[in-house]
Amino acid sequence: MTLAADTFDFVATLVRDRSAIQLDRGKEYLVESRLAPLARSAGATDVDAFVRALRADISQHESVVEALTTNETSWFRDLHPYTVLRSTVIPALATAGRSPVRIWSAACSTGQEPYSIAMTLADNFPSLKAHIVATDIADNVLAKGRSGRFTQLEINRGLPAPMLVKHFERQGPCFEIAPHLRNRVMFRKHNLLEQPPGGGPYDIVFLRNVLIYFDVVTKRSVLARVRAALAPGGYLFLGAAETTIGVDDTWERIQVERGCVYRTREGKRI
Amino acid sequence: MKALVIDDSRVMRKIVGSILSGVGFETLEAENGQVALDTMAAHHDIVLCCIDWNMPVMTGFEFVVQVRKRAQWRDVTLMMVTTEGEQDQIVRALAAGAHEYIIKPFTPEAILDKLQFLGLVEVQETV
Amino acid sequence: MTIPATWEPLSAVDPVLTIAQDLFTTMIDGEPGHLNPWAGADPDLEDPRYTWVDVNGPVVTRVMLTASRVTGERLTRALLGMDTVEYVCDADFADAVGEIANVVGGNVKSLVTNPGALTLPVVTHERPDMDTATCLLETYFGWRGAPLGVGLWALT
Repeated sequence: MTLAADTFDFVATLVRDRSAIQLDRGKEYLVESRLAPLARSAGATDVDAFVRALRADISQHESVVEALTTNETSWFRDLHPYTVLRSTVIPALATAGRSPVRIWSAACSTGQEPYSIAMTLADNFPSLKAHIVATDIADNVLAKGRSGRFTQLEINRGLPAPMLVKHFERQGPCFEIAPHLRNRVMFRKHNLLEQPPGGGPYDIVFLRNVLIYFDVVTKRSVLARVRAALAPGGYLFLGAAETTIGVDDTWERIQVERGCVYRTREGKRI
Repeated sequence: MKALVIDDSRVMRKIVGSILSGVGFETLEAENGQVALDTMAAHHDIVLCCIDWNMPVMTGFEFVVQVRKRAQWRDVTLMMVTTEGEQDQIVRALAAGAHEYIIKPFTPEAILDKLQFLGLVEVQETV
Repeated sequence: MTIPATWEPLSAVDPVLTIAQDLFTTMIDGEPGHLNPWAGADPDLEDPRYTWVDVNGPVVTRVMLTASRVTGERLTRALLGMDTVEYVCDADFADAVGEIANVVGGNVKSLVTNPGALTLPVVTHERPDMDTATCLLETYFGWRGAPLGVGLWALT
């Protein structure tokens, strides 16, 4: 099944206007697969028909944007950032006397990332004082993150079993994270194109797998806001397919074992 | 690297087996814990077992207990892949010596996430 | 007999539907949306097969799936990644529908405190005798147009 060009254009415009996420031609399959369940539950014959109805009915626009901007997420995604956090970043901040350590998990989706950070800290630096702020643009994922409740399928995605039994408790069909970890993460609604959330300046920012969706102008603008929110000597984690190189050269990429982290070049700070 | 998929369901052995072969494992199959022990004895280069819990003849839990009694198998990674999802069961399996635990149903990505964490496959960074 | 309190939440359709949908989404369809509550009157199943697992605890509880042979064959092909026309032998059929019952039964069991042990799946042509059992739930789901019966019974 191929999506009509005007269907794609309508959805791409809607998503760009609401979230700044750029859906280029060639992402038709993504629109089709993400919207098919919505179309089915709305009783539409296919995605084209569903989107035709959307033009006259704005009540579904939010859920369309959420369906296309909510990404499947897993615990300890890509592993290396958490290894670098544990082996290098937290020890360096502790040596520098940073307390509390302030962490911003940006575009946090349903909370697996900030809770993975919280578990890493609890298991390795039990006496470290840390504040974790987790933000996303979508209300539904924030509500889910705040609840600290995850389905079995979500738990299956990358959460090591020893951490599951240590930090979670089964509640009916879901597993619920321990209250002391849940209380450590503050979830807030935030658009990356707006001013950074309060609670900074941040020693560590996780901004993973989100720049890939933006055009280069938007990438620069988001990185500039992150730079402004970062404490001197702070650290930025990007997704595996993302880099500041060629986008914003005020950042320096530092390789640590198999992972990498970014810091601002102090001399170039404005 | 060799992996042993232990499940009384042929369907499930095939599903798990094809996920493992997709990341380079040579996979062997066993339909219960006893056959699995015999297979382990015959192949000294098995590095990973994916283990169902409820099986005839010998359960997956009993298999884990038996494997952990033998020093020559101490480096074998044991991952439960089972429909038993109560927290007590997970705790029991880990206490008996299983390293990981996946509750059915699962996606291929769930298995791969665990194998990455266990260091059995390279971390494939996701986009 | 009365339904034990620990099993009571399962007399609603939602938990069992969620369990079945997760299974179908991940291992059968590869995408959500194809398993839904059956709309309309209870269907007649042609050449039905009954597949169940029991949970042997303080209460013996049966989780049973009912599907026509043809639907069971489609499920088997989906699970095994077979071509839509490929012949499904009895052994593969029993194995596949048995595993579906096992996964649903195991997940149902996880929602109950102190449920007991799960038995291995059984597949039959005849509906098992459950005259003295108490029905906790009996409903139908629709999968790609075909009805699937799902039920829970307290046997003792």
